[in-house]
Amino acid sequence: MSTSVQNAPGSGTAAAPGLPIGELIFALIIVSIGVVGFVAGAGIQTPPSASDIGPRAFPFAVSGLLVVVGAGLVIQVLRGHRGSADEGEDVDLDASTDWLTVGKLAGLVLLHAFLIVPLGWPIAAAILFFGAAWSLGARPWWRNLITAILLALVLQFVFGGLLGVSLPPGFLEGFGVFGG
Amino acid sequence: MLMQGFATAMQPMYLLFALGGVLVGTAVGVLPGIGPAMTVALLMPITYSLEPTAAIIVFAGIYYGGMYGGSTTSILLNTPGESSSIVTALEGNKMAKAGRGAAALATAAVGSFVAGTIATVLLSFLAPYVAAFAVQIGPVEYVALMVVAFLTVGALLGSSVLRGLASLGLGLFIATVGFDSLTAQQRYTFGSPFLADGIDVVLVAVGLFAVGEALYVASRLRHGPIKVIPVTGGWTSWLRKDDLRRSWKPWLRGTLIGFPVGTIPAGGADVATFLSYASERKLAKGENKKQFGKGAIEGVAGPEAANNAAAAGVLVPLLTLGIPTTATAAMMLVAFQRYQIPVGPQLFESNSALVWALIASLYVGNLMLLVLNLPLVGIWVKILQIPRPYLYAGILVFAVLGAFSVNFTPIDVIILLIVGILGFFMRRFGYPIAPMVVGLILGPIFESQLRRSLAISQGDPVALVQSPVAATIYVVLIIIFGLSFLLKRRQRQFEAMVAENADAPDVVRGSAEAPEALAAPAATASTAPASTATATAPSREDTDR
Repeated sequence: MSTSVQNAPGSGTAAAPGLPIGELIFALIIVSIGVVGFVAGAGIQTPPSASDIGPRAFPFAVSGLLVVVGAGLVIQVLRGHRGSADEGEDVDLDASTDWLTVGKLAGLVLLHAFLIVPLGWPIAAAILFFGAAWSLGARPWWRNLITAILLALVLQFVFGGLLGVSLPPGFLEGFGVFGG
Repeated sequence: MLMQGFATAMQPMYLLFALGGVLVGTAVGVLPGIGPAMTVALLMPITYSLEPTAAIIVFAGIYYGGMYGGSTTSILLNTPGESSSIVTALEGNKMAKAGRGAAALATAAVGSFVAGTIATVLLSFLAPYVAAFAVQIGPVEYVALMVVAFLTVGALLGSSVLRGLASLGLGLFIATVGFDSLTAQQRYTFGSPFLADGIDVVLVAVGLFAVGEALYVASRLRHGPIKVIPVTGGWTSWLRKDDLRRSWKPWLRGTLIGFPVGTIPAGGADVATFLSYASERKLAKGENKKQFGKGAIEGVAGPEAANNAAAAGVLVPLLTLGIPTTATAAMMLVAFQRYQIPVGPQLFESNSALVWALIASLYVGNLMLLVLNLPLVGIWVKILQIPRPYLYAGILVFAVLGAFSVNFTPIDVIILLIVGILGFFMRRFGYPIAPMVVGLILGPIFESQLRRSLAISQGDPVALVQSPVAATIYVVLIIIFGLSFLLKRRQRQFEAMVAENADAPDVVRGSAEAPEALAAPAATASTAPASTATATAPSREDTDR
């Protein structure tokens, strides 16, 4: 990918000898979810007629688990015990993190969510596929475009038309085969 | 009962669904980045219009197909695979490089068929007995079983106990969002109507498996051409007499190791493949033993059989007790819930026709896989070579399709993205995904059973351990933990040794310092298969994505 970013801020978790900031933050987030669980859980109404253990006890127990485990993880990370990143056939663990591509993909999914209703599912999906394939390094652009359009039409036909999933057909409105 | 199941499963329409299921399953098994759990999650909203039996048959086909497809990838793809498939890759990849890829594929496929069939027979005989026991257990025992499932899946399957428990906790937390089922009180909804109904399980599963995986792979995509080792020769001459002679015993041994490991809520296919590999290596003699590390066919035949037998074993607790022990099993449970089929101990009794149709379709699917797999290997190789940008862009499109189809609101796509980003960071920092999914799915059932038990005992927590059955379950849990930590250490030694030998492939195994490190896990495996089978070992459950 031509867009790969070297030494992007925050990507230091892979090789940097210092404190693994990202991993530490993640462990702290787990603790804070537990804390939020206690605070917000205090607002859960318990009907007086309920049995001995009401709707509040279980959320409290889970929050407690998160706080304890999260705190343990914070300590572990501070002591230098790191998690091992997930492996996979397509994953190159030695590569530096390509934040730009991750950001592009996340942005495209978000864009897709806003386009489904105004443009219809096929166009929104084609844009998502085209953008994602391009961000991941597929060239040339016209082949990506053709693939994206074909895929969107086939999916709209199979799921909207054949299986009766109510995907908004957009410009295909009125064509029965596309579920319009 | 089984015959009635066959009568259902053999109807042409259902045969077609089974065929579709195994083909889709094999394809996703072959493709890196997607697994059966993710596929079932994705297909759930978009197969909503199917009737329950058809959908369950499709999912059963995907479940078995995914196991077959995975072995093709680890044998033919020339990149270091995931930890779960690495056992097959150890010998299979070497065989393929030595021009014996066809034999490796064949012994994997036939072994999967033999093991799958025997294990399905065992499932058919065992399941009714377990189900008869299951209907007698009360909420207290059910709570105990779920505690075992939580702790074994959460603490034992991943490489880090705390990370597994954190993942489990996150799943349980998300499960509490929404209306409380017993008192109808709102919990953690923060006044938002979108959260009042809870966060849909399918959204979380698709977000974690599909979007999380796509984002993670995108962050560290392996570039360059995809190297697939070519397979030569016609598929009919693949399994020579000599190969067959060396394979059939490992197939049977793998089945016997895999099935019990799968049935126990501490299993997972990884442990079974590892135990099978270790014992095959221990039992090999003379010339064959020297081949280990350089492409011994026993090292492919045994683990592949164990893998498939374990997959069938996992269905025993799922179908009889409603306890999923892997992420794929958890998604199957969700599929049952979607179709208003009550899960839990009463499943077998109240929906026996459906369960037997499911089991019958496993026999059918297994046979289809054997017949289709070898002749179609050319197609699987093509699928393996799909350009990665298209593969992961396609995964994203399917993910948003599945998410949108849950409620047909774009807000679900945004929730999907948020969960996906969470999944990205979990992968990055080594948090296993499966415990979160299991926690999310079992959480509500667990809470209601727990509260029911405590209501019966009027709030006395001692009652939870007073029932003899429940007490036994907890004692077994403690034993499982003790054994697993023992086995964990040995597997680490074993893996270290394998890594060492992988670096220096010409070292003849079984010489020098190797025997001691190896003898340990193998000895445990062969002397006490049933008890060590309960113990599990570290390595990710990647087959379940």
